Amino acid sequence: MDPVTLLLIIAIVGGFYMAWNIGANDVANAFATSVGSGAVTIRLAILLAAVCEFAGAFLVGEPVAKTISSEIVTPAVFETRAMDFGIGMVGALLAASVWLNIATFLGQPVSTTHAIIGAVIGFAVVACGPTCIRWGEMVRIGASWVVSPIVGGLLAYIIYRFGVRRYVLESRHPVFMAIASVPLGLGALVGIVVFSITYKGLPGLRLNFPLHWAAPLSILAGLAVGAALWIGLRKKMWRHGIPRDQRYEFVERWFGHMQVATACYMSFAHGANDCANAIGPLGAAITTLRTQAVPHEVGISPLLLAFGGVGIVVGLATYGYKVIRTIGRQITEVTPTRGFSAEFGTATSVLVFSKLGMPISTTFVIVGAVIGVGLARGFAALDLGVIRKIFTSWVVTIPIAAVLSAVFFLALRSLTL
Amino acid sequence: MINLLRVFGKSPFEPLVEHSRKVHECVKLVRPITDAILAGDMARLAELQHLMSKTEHEADQLKDQIRKDLPPRYFLPVDREDIARFLAQMDRIADDAQDFAIVSTFRKLDLPKDMHADFLAFVDKVVQVSETLLSLGERLAQLQKESFVGPDAEEVLARIQQVAQMEWESDKLSRKLARHYYGDPTMEPVQIMLLDKLCRALNGIANHAENVGKNLRLMITRK
Repeated sequence: MDPVTLLLIIAIVGGFYMAWNIGANDVANAFATSVGSGAVTIRLAILLAAVCEFAGAFLVGEPVAKTISSEIVTPAVFETRAMDFGIGMVGALLAASVWLNIATFLGQPVSTTHAIIGAVIGFAVVACGPTCIRWGEMVRIGASWVVSPIVGGLLAYIIYRFGVRRYVLESRHPVFMAIASVPLGLGALVGIVVFSITYKGLPGLRLNFPLHWAAPLSILAGLAVGAALWIGLRKKMWRHGIPRDQRYEFVERWFGHMQVATACYMSFAHGANDCANAIGPLGAAITTLRTQAVPHEVGISPLLLAFGGVGIVVGLATYGYKVIRTIGRQITEVTPTRGFSAEFGTATSVLVFSKLGMPISTTFVIVGAVIGVGLARGFAALDLGVIRKIFTSWVVTIPIAAVLSAVFFLALRSLTL
Repeated sequence: MINLLRVFGKSPFEPLVEHSRKVHECVKLVRPITDAILAGDMARLAELQHLMSKTEHEADQLKDQIRKDLPPRYFLPVDREDIARFLAQMDRIADDAQDFAIVSTFRKLDLPKDMHADFLAFVDKVVQVSETLLSLGERLAQLQKESFVGPDAEEVLARIQQVAQMEWESDKLSRKLARHYYGDPTMEPVQIMLLDKLCRALNGIANHAENVGKNLRLMITRK
């Protein structure tokens, strides 16, 4: 077998393994609470998560994938030795996969995003020195790691404090308000998702509308879904046979239905952002190795996006369901009103940063959103020590992934050239 | 991804409810002790005092556990100070109930027959104050779930007013009784001292219950 084919196989296996990992571990974030509260069965959760993750990866996954494959390191620097770039990306995939496995074995929570970014930096520094890294871009990415949880937290705070708490829980007619808020929440969700798909979307599917088309289109879609639901639910709204002492349970049950939609929203956003961790380097490696030349711009083909989506779905189906079940059983604190707020905030933040092409850690954003709901008096007790742990794992992961990636790069290069 | 679970600390609200119940268990013993005092049954008093100490000790253990589970890095929906004060005041209710039990064992109290009704009325009012408070304290965990707003929170706030009202009524009964025994020329000074000590303990229970109510109000209305 010639070395290039071998490298391609390693790249595809590594990329698939990364996608598998993302599906196995992170999808639980979105659906665990819904499964735990009994709003959906585990089977339905897997199905919904699979569809939404795939849709997110396929339809909105491109900007982040582009960032990882060609924005952090300038491919043009490798003009004279294109193979180094391809081999490096393969090494980065391997390094990130290996480190994720070691960290999981040690019981440390690490982010696939941090692992892959660290790995890309690592091989590039060894291959052509620190100057070939776009440090300005790295600063932007680093800043997005800090800003995205804050945005998620702020959104979750506003939704819980000024939406759920003020207009539903504090209301004299919480049941009525809970039912009435469903069309509003769902309409907003559909509008945002449609906008994320249509505004500068995939050119291959002709989804790259300009702003003056995408914005009215998404507003219309949101309004249509909201109005249709409102008309459908209106009959139910006037039935008020809920005993006083069961009102709170009723509100939580209704939000439980709505939370299924926000869980789908979160899966969609997660697919859009995290799929790139697998297919970004893979895309760069495949293009370079096949053409033996450094691409001016790495094209992320729909086929590649679909490949990442499939990897995530396989991870979900083979291992992720176990994680969903375990976490769902243990998170009893997150009632549907809180889950709805935190998930809406998280998904919106993740989706916005995905469209901006920023590879962020969805887990950080979730923690930020949970703290946001906590600030609005949503949770009984939050352990803020977790912030320190997360920060440590972030600070540790990047250099380790970088060193591993450098080692793999040198090893692969000496083997194949 | 287990780290999402790590964000959630141990809720202090269910243990607070449990502690409130334990404290009220102490106060509930006041009535049988009073019956034994009036019957002059010293053996029964010793027995009840033993039971009281045991219950009070259990309440203390619950209190210590709550304090231990409340490390400073925890983020809570109510002020940490409010929880600490709530606990401290609750603890004093149990202490005063225990005082009542201990004082009753010091010496046989010969309460003149015409004061029995007033004394019982006072005792019952104090137990009632604590009962009302417990019915509010028990809802703390549910209030947390409802994020301290809504019709239930309004209702609890209104009933806190009731606790204060009942405390005032118990004060009136206490004064009426004090006028009675201090003005009774047939009572021995030692007996008056003993009775006064018992009444002080009862007053303490009612006062601290009112303070717990005020604390609960602060917890609910905190923005």
